[in-house]
Amino acid sequence: MANLYNRIAVFRAERGVSRRELAEAVDVNNQTIGYLERGDYKPSLELAMKISAYFGVPIELIFSFQPFEPVADTLRRAAAAGDQPQ
Amino acid sequence: MSFLGKLDRLVYATGFDRIMFMKVEPLTYRWTPLLVLASLVAGYVVMAKAEMAHFPSSRFFVGWALFYGAYLVTAFLRVFGPRFIGTNSRPLDERELMVKARAYAISGVAITGFTMLGCAYMAIASAGLWTLWAPRTPNDWIALALGIQALAMLLPTWIASWIEPRLTADHDD
Repeated sequence: MANLYNRIAVFRAERGVSRRELAEAVDVNNQTIGYLERGDYKPSLELAMKISAYFGVPIELIFSFQPFEPVADTLRRAAAAGDQPQ
Repeated sequence: MSFLGKLDRLVYATGFDRIMFMKVEPLTYRWTPLLVLASLVAGYVVMAKAEMAHFPSSRFFVGWALFYGAYLVTAFLRVFGPRFIGTNSRPLDERELMVKARAYAISGVAITGFTMLGCAYMAIASAGLWTLWAPRTPNDWIALALGIQALAMLLPTWIASWIEPRLTADHDD
């Protein structure tokens, strides 16, 4: 079975959302958010869509079958391209 | 303060409300059920053997304590182990429902196999082919029924404890 990677923790940190707040927003227990972030649990399509809707981004920005590029690499690449993030 | 008010305070003071309303995080028991299972079997064997030799004897009560002690622990493991029943304030989410379904499915197969093997054994024992032990006294049958009930409570908890990932250590809430 293919691995499903996610960057829920990155989005959560960026928005300053706690696990409990996210869990309440998407109707799961906060332990489930913890397991999702650790990759110990693969969400249903419904839950994945609820999470992406909560952050207001397309589902493929949060979940992927390929590992996500580290944030540091993305920032380095953006800086090199003269597209320094604010 | 009224008597009912005092009782109410006692409930909160003892933390019983946290258990009743499932405010405690469920624990996983990966090895404890093995001990409980061993105690159930050992207790049953000691009770049955002591009953055959001489009843009532101190050995019988040792077996009784071992068996019913393990039976009681089974109930506690069920309460504090992985959640199988949701509450109004905290219903089971999709992950917990998946864990429950898998744990019950696997334990159902295991209990069916165990019961079939038990029936086959009883058939051989009752046919008198060998001098095999079989339950005879009311206590043998009652303890056997309670043992099967304990197994039906224990197995889902045990299996779910292995299916559940380890609790996340980095609580941020």
